[in-house]
Amino acid sequence: MAVHIGPRERPGKGNQSVTRGLHGFHPFTSWLYFIGLFLLSMLLLHPIYLATMLLGIVLLISMQGQTSVLRSYAKSFLWIGLFILILNPLLSHRGQHILFYLFDQPITLESIWYGITMMLSLWCILLVFISYNHVISAGKFLFLFCRLFPKTALLCLMAVRFVPLLKRRLSEIHSVQKTRGIDPTDGPLWKRARNGMLILQVLLTMSLEEAIQTADSMKARGHGLFAERSSYVPYRFRRADYLFLTLMFLAFFCCVTGWILGYGHLTFYPGLEGIALTASEIPYYASLLLYLLLAIFIEGREGIGHPRV
Amino acid sequence: MAILECKQLHFSYPEEPKETLSELSLSIQEGEFLVLAGPSGCGKSTLLQLLKKEIQPFGTRSGEIIYAGKTLEDHPPAQLTKDIGLVFQDPENQIVMDEVLQELVLGLENMGVPMDEMRRRVAELVHFFGLEPLLHAKTDILSGGQKQLLNLASVLLLRPRILLLDEPTAQLDPIAAKEFIQIVYRLNQEFGLTIVLVEHRLEEVFPLADRVILMEQGRIHCEGSPREVIEQVWKSGNQELITYLPSIPRLYLELDPSKEHIPLTVKECKAWVEQVLKPMDSDQENVECSSDGLLEIKEVFYQYSRQTPWVLEDLSLQIQQGDYLAILGGNGAGKSTLLKLLGGLLSPQKGKVLLDKQNLKKLKKTELYQKIGYLPQDPMLFFVRETVEQELIASAERSGQVDPMKAVDKLTSQLGLDNILYRHPHDCSGGERQKAALACLLLGQPEVLLLDEPTKGLDPVSKKQLASLLQELHVQGITLVIVTHDVEFAAQYASRCALLFDGGIASLGTPQEMFAGNVFYTTAISRAVRNVLPSMITCEEVLKHCRVVRSTL
Repeated sequence: MAVHIGPRERPGKGNQSVTRGLHGFHPFTSWLYFIGLFLLSMLLLHPIYLATMLLGIVLLISMQGQTSVLRSYAKSFLWIGLFILILNPLLSHRGQHILFYLFDQPITLESIWYGITMMLSLWCILLVFISYNHVISAGKFLFLFCRLFPKTALLCLMAVRFVPLLKRRLSEIHSVQKTRGIDPTDGPLWKRARNGMLILQVLLTMSLEEAIQTADSMKARGHGLFAERSSYVPYRFRRADYLFLTLMFLAFFCCVTGWILGYGHLTFYPGLEGIALTASEIPYYASLLLYLLLAIFIEGREGIGHPRV
Repeated sequence: MAILECKQLHFSYPEEPKETLSELSLSIQEGEFLVLAGPSGCGKSTLLQLLKKEIQPFGTRSGEIIYAGKTLEDHPPAQLTKDIGLVFQDPENQIVMDEVLQELVLGLENMGVPMDEMRRRVAELVHFFGLEPLLHAKTDILSGGQKQLLNLASVLLLRPRILLLDEPTAQLDPIAAKEFIQIVYRLNQEFGLTIVLVEHRLEEVFPLADRVILMEQGRIHCEGSPREVIEQVWKSGNQELITYLPSIPRLYLELDPSKEHIPLTVKECKAWVEQVLKPMDSDQENVECSSDGLLEIKEVFYQYSRQTPWVLEDLSLQIQQGDYLAILGGNGAGKSTLLKLLGGLLSPQKGKVLLDKQNLKKLKKTELYQKIGYLPQDPMLFFVRETVEQELIASAERSGQVDPMKAVDKLTSQLGLDNILYRHPHDCSGGERQKAALACLLLGQPEVLLLDEPTKGLDPVSKKQLASLLQELHVQGITLVIVTHDVEFAAQYASRCALLFDGGIASLGTPQEMFAGNVFYTTAISRAVRNVLPSMITCEEVLKHCRVVRSTL
């Protein structure tokens, strides 16, 4: 396959690990690919499909050198997943196969499987975000959306920039307010809740104040003032982009067709379908594999070309 | 030719009865290095914002601002964005993008500059600033100084004719601040760029500026060359403004009535000092401290995570009852971490922190935080309520005062907080916030106060007020520990200084012992007088010495 890697995103040697793989494509191409991944993670509610996707995305992340990021989030993701896994059978009692009773509540096989599927789906979405953040930099985001929606693009950009900032700020506020007796981790529940609200309020006021300064600094540099925006990085649609897009669309529509035909999403209620894949859905499963492998191939190919140091 | 002119400018913010700027006329020459100074709230930042059309504040304005022969409104907005660049105070909040290169070109991209042109501009500017190694770095790993340089560079890429800077060094440590000012000076000298700089650290900028404007209450108090301004301020006898004079010219004016050539730099001062002052041997007077350690830190190790290196390594320090200790050290030396360990906000991985011989870990949290008051670097982290008054009352109630209202009233009048009592903490100036936060801490009647960079970003007047307040607390017997970059402040007020370096205490002693022994890390006065008066480190000491010498003659 003559996949030609597009223009190097940055001139010079720069940071090699950033110039590789999906980065080489036009922002629109890689953006669409991620949108496809998000959609598939939400549509294909089938444990085997989702588990495959999860594996594929983890592989993609590790090939992009983002394992450290994954590790830092792993714990919280694990908890979120377990939360869903446990909560669903406790709250939903639909389904025909009652396994046992917990506090007089029936726990059904169907609701457990549904919980597992939802957990996998959520994990996929969260993990795609890690890869997305790595590939779609703020600059690419502005390139894609600034002309269409300058204000919204600015807002989104600031919102994304805000998340790590908020996290850091919150822990700062917490450690200081602890010394003043305002501690949401200590005391009776009502007090904790009140203290938590107080701290969130400070966080918001401080952050909004800072956001005004950020917006000023953007305005001072002419954001949204000029009709025509240019880009420092020469993004061009290359042959590789067309090729990648074509394969991607093929695989995606194949998956969606399968989905419309009823493959790749399990019927949980009232009774569980067979989980194992049937022969007739192999082509659709294969097209999902193709979709995942496209990006993994692109990332992996880059690794082969350069000797690892 | 004047490139920028203000004619009879009046400005007031909505719902603010007093005018922020009144009858201000001013003209800025092309290629000039102009410094705007004045107490906080005097309108200098407002003036700067009015000059940059995109971010003009809302309010009622009259009078004209003329740029290159036409009023600002008559220029196409694109022209103004390009020609007038602005660097803000906070290095952090100006940065939008996550990568240095992206941040640099943001303005150019916004303006639709063609790619080839962009590349050329970036290449030459990055070269000038020496930013190559950082070009692909993430912006959030940069230090404050680097961030501010990045902000400056990204404004310069638009090739402005006038560069406005709003207290650009207020949040930087002294070394980064010096570097930043030097770059700005180079831009002025080598490219003839017009500079309008709002600044508190006049010590650095007086020798560089062409003209200084001192503002007070929305008006120009005096203007002229740095030397003229110094002389005018001195003659006016206005005590508030006199605090703006750096220590070297102040020493000169106190001692030399001829006022022929006021020295601005250590070099100039040294020559003069050696003519007028007589050499004297050092006589060290030892400050006695009671020997029982109140707060003690023993063989402490600390790191933020297992992957990062130790911030503090095998550090021991004893703080006596009634001590006034200043902890100094470079960026990232672990000063703030040490303070947080002392305050029980963090606990060490190895070693102990003791208060009254009791391990902090074993003390009850409420009791601990009652005894030790901690003020963070950014006092905004400290406030949670709508007004300063509510904040004070809550603190008083928490500390279990018999009559909270009375205690609040007493402290308010003592500290002069009456005028900000009903304001939101966000609407107070930096100095007022420090004071309000200190008041909250004092209501808890703490034994120890830990202050992280209390003088950061304060104008000289607020700094002096804060200093005398701390002095008073020191006399009352409260133990004070401050972390500071401000060598002059530590030299003048602290009773002991500790220099933190490479994870441990590199030196510890009275300010005299510490700064008189240092050659680089010391006060301007110490550097100027060290040949004749080797033990003197502050203006006040030298003056006192001279008075004694004169009276004995």
